[in-house]
Amino acid sequence: MLEILAQAVINGLLIGGIYALVSIGVTLIFGVVKIVNFAQGEFVMIGMYISFFLATQLGVDPIVSLVVSMPVLFVIGVLIQHFLIRRVLGLNDLPQIFLTFALSLLIVNLALMLLTANYRTVHTWYSDEAFHVGGLYIPVAKLIAFVLAMILSGILWIFLHTTDLGKAMRAASQNRDVAQLMGINPNRVFAVALGIALALAGAAGSLLMPFYPAYPLVGQVFVLMAFVAVVLGTLGNVIGALVASLLMGVAESLGIQFIGADSGLIVVFALLLFTLAVRPSGLAGGRRR
Amino acid sequence: MKRSVRRSLPKQNRREFLIKTGGALAAAAIASPPIMTGAAETVNIGALYPTTGSMAQIGVGCVAAAKLAAEMVNDAGGIKSLGGAKLNLIVSDVQSDTTVTRTETDRLISGNKLSAIHGCFASALTLIASEVAERAKVPIITGSSSDQLNKGRTYTFTPFARASQFAKAQLQMSKLVSDTPKVAVIFENTAFGTSTSNGLKELAPAEGVEIVMFEPYSAGFTDASPLVNKVKASGANALFSVSYLNDLILIVRTVKQVGLNVAINGGSGGFVIPDFYKNVGKLAEGLQGVAHWNHDMSDEAQKVNAEYKKRTGEFLFEYAGGLVAQTFMLADALERAASTDPQKVREALSTLDVSKGYAAMAPGGKVKFGPDGKNVYGRPVGVQWQNGDLASVFPKEDARAPLLKT
Repeated sequence: MLEILAQAVINGLLIGGIYALVSIGVTLIFGVVKIVNFAQGEFVMIGMYISFFLATQLGVDPIVSLVVSMPVLFVIGVLIQHFLIRRVLGLNDLPQIFLTFALSLLIVNLALMLLTANYRTVHTWYSDEAFHVGGLYIPVAKLIAFVLAMILSGILWIFLHTTDLGKAMRAASQNRDVAQLMGINPNRVFAVALGIALALAGAAGSLLMPFYPAYPLVGQVFVLMAFVAVVLGTLGNVIGALVASLLMGVAESLGIQFIGADSGLIVVFALLLFTLAVRPSGLAGGRRR
Repeated sequence: MKRSVRRSLPKQNRREFLIKTGGALAAAAIASPPIMTGAAETVNIGALYPTTGSMAQIGVGCVAAAKLAAEMVNDAGGIKSLGGAKLNLIVSDVQSDTTVTRTETDRLISGNKLSAIHGCFASALTLIASEVAERAKVPIITGSSSDQLNKGRTYTFTPFARASQFAKAQLQMSKLVSDTPKVAVIFENTAFGTSTSNGLKELAPAEGVEIVMFEPYSAGFTDASPLVNKVKASGANALFSVSYLNDLILIVRTVKQVGLNVAINGGSGGFVIPDFYKNVGKLAEGLQGVAHWNHDMSDEAQKVNAEYKKRTGEFLFEYAGGLVAQTFMLADALERAASTDPQKVREALSTLDVSKGYAAMAPGGKVKFGPDGKNVYGRPVGVQWQNGDLASVFPKEDARAPLLKT
C-alpha cells in the first residue's frame, strides 16, 4: 500500500515538473505584460517538433536539442512581443485575448497543414528505461526532464531576484507606470519576458520529446493544466505556479490511483475550487513575485 | 467526448469561433459548382471523417481509402444500371468533435443530393451522424463498432463485427496465452471504450476469464504511469487496453518501463494502424489485437492492400480497408436500386446479400444485413504484430499465421 502511494507521488511529481515549465511561462507573461497567452501550449508543440526534427534528421538527442529550441523560441517570443502584442497593449482586454487566440489557431492549423496530424515519437536509449529502487521505479527520461525543469526554474528565480533586468521585470509587474517613471523601458522588459516564457515552453517541448509523442494539438493537453496551476498558484507568481504544478501532478496521480482512472482532472479541479474558496487569490495569497 | 470536457471555457469560444468563420469558408468552398457534365449522372456519396483534430490520423487514411474505392468502382465502369454513373465522393471534415459532426452532417445532407453516406470512424461521432442521417432519411454505412448503432435506426448499416463480438474474440484470445487468464481492462471513457469494455465484462464469466481490474480513463492523458501502476497492483497477467493511439503508445512504453510482464491486447482503434508500429517499434512485437478487417484476410483484400500501399506507403489498415468493402456494397445496392434516390438505396442495402468480390471483403467473407442493420455473418478477426506487420491469427478459419506466445 505504502509502495503504491509512494509510486503515485513519484509519478505525479515527475509530470508536475513539465506542467511547471509551461505554467511558469504563462504566469510570467501575465505577471509582467498583463496578458493571458492562450498560445503557450502551441509553443510547447513547436519545441517538440524542433527536437523531433533535430533528432530524426541530425541525430541530436532531444534533451541536448534544448540548446536550440530555447533560443529559437526566445527569439520568436521577442518578435511576437514586438510586432504583435505591443500593438494591442493599453487597449481593452478583448483585442489581447483575440490576439493570442488567433495565434494559437494559426499555429495549430499551420502545423496540421505542414506537419500533418501524425504522431511523431523519438526513441532514445533511455526512453523505455527506468531506475528500479526497492519496489519503485523511476523512468529515466522523466527524471531527466524533471531535474532540468527544476534547474531552469531555479535559474529563472535567480535571474528575477539578482539581475537588474530581472528586478526591472518584477518592478514592471508590480506597477508598470511607476516602473516607467523610474526609467525602466517597458517594451524591452516585456520583450524579454515573452522571450523567457516561450523559451521555457520550448524547453518543456524538448524535455517531453523522449517520452511523449508530438502532434499539432499536443499543446492543448498541457496548457489546460498550466492555466489551472497559474490560477492555483496566484496569477503572476512564479514560485506559486511551480508549487501548484507539482501539487497538481501529484493530485492527478493520486486521483487516478485511488479514486478512478478517469478522475484525475476531477481531483485537480476540485483542488482548484477548494483553494479558491478558501484563498480567493490562490495559494500564494496576494503576493506577485 | 472527453476532450471537450478537458477544454477550458475560452477554448469552447475558440471552437464556436472556428465554426462560424472556418465553417462559413468551407461551406462556400464545398457548395461551389455542381458536377453535372451532361453525360451520365453522378452519384453523390457523402464521406464524413475527422481529418483534423485528435482523430485526424485515422480520418486522413480513411479519406485516402474512400477515394481509392470510388476510383475502383468508377474505373470498372461505374454504376451500369444508371448508365455508367460515376461515384462522386463529397468529403467533409468532422474535426474529431461531436458538435461539429452534427452540423457538418446536416450541412452535407441539406447542401447536396446524396444517395448515401459513410463515416465517421469513431463511434462517438458516427452515433451523432447516424441520428442526423436517420431523420433526413439518407442511408449511412459504417465500420464503427458501437452496438448502439443497431438500436432504433433503420437507415444505418453496419457490415462488420460489433463491439460485443470484439469482446468475445479478445477473451478467447486471452485463453490462448494463459490457461488461467487474469485480465485487467482499461478503457477510454467515451462510447467506443465503454461499449467495448462492457461487452468484455458481461461475457467474461461465460468464457471462463477472470477480470481483476476494470477501469475507465480519460483519453488524452499526459502520463500513463498512474494507470499502469494500478494494473501492476491488480496482479493481472493480461491487459486489455481499449484506447486510441496516443494513449496506447504511452501505456505500452510505460508497461515496459515498469518491467511488467503482461500479454497486452490492444483491441482495435489506434492499435491496428501502421503508425502504432512506427511509434512503438520493437516493443509492439507480439502485441495482440482485434479488428473488423485485416489486409491479409483474402485475395481481394491483399489486392486492394497492394494498391493502397503503392499510393500511401503504408499497409491498408482496418477501418480504411473496411471502407473499401463498404463502397462496393454501396455500388452493389446502387446497381440493384437503379436509382440515386437515398430511400431506394436504403431498400437495396437492406436486401444486400454478397459472398464474393470486393463487397464481400469481411471476416467470414459474407455480408447480409438483418433488420437491425447488422451483418448477420459479421465477426472480428484476431491479429498480432509480427515483424512489423499485422497478421491475422484468430479464429482458425481467418488465421494466416500462428499466434506467437510472448
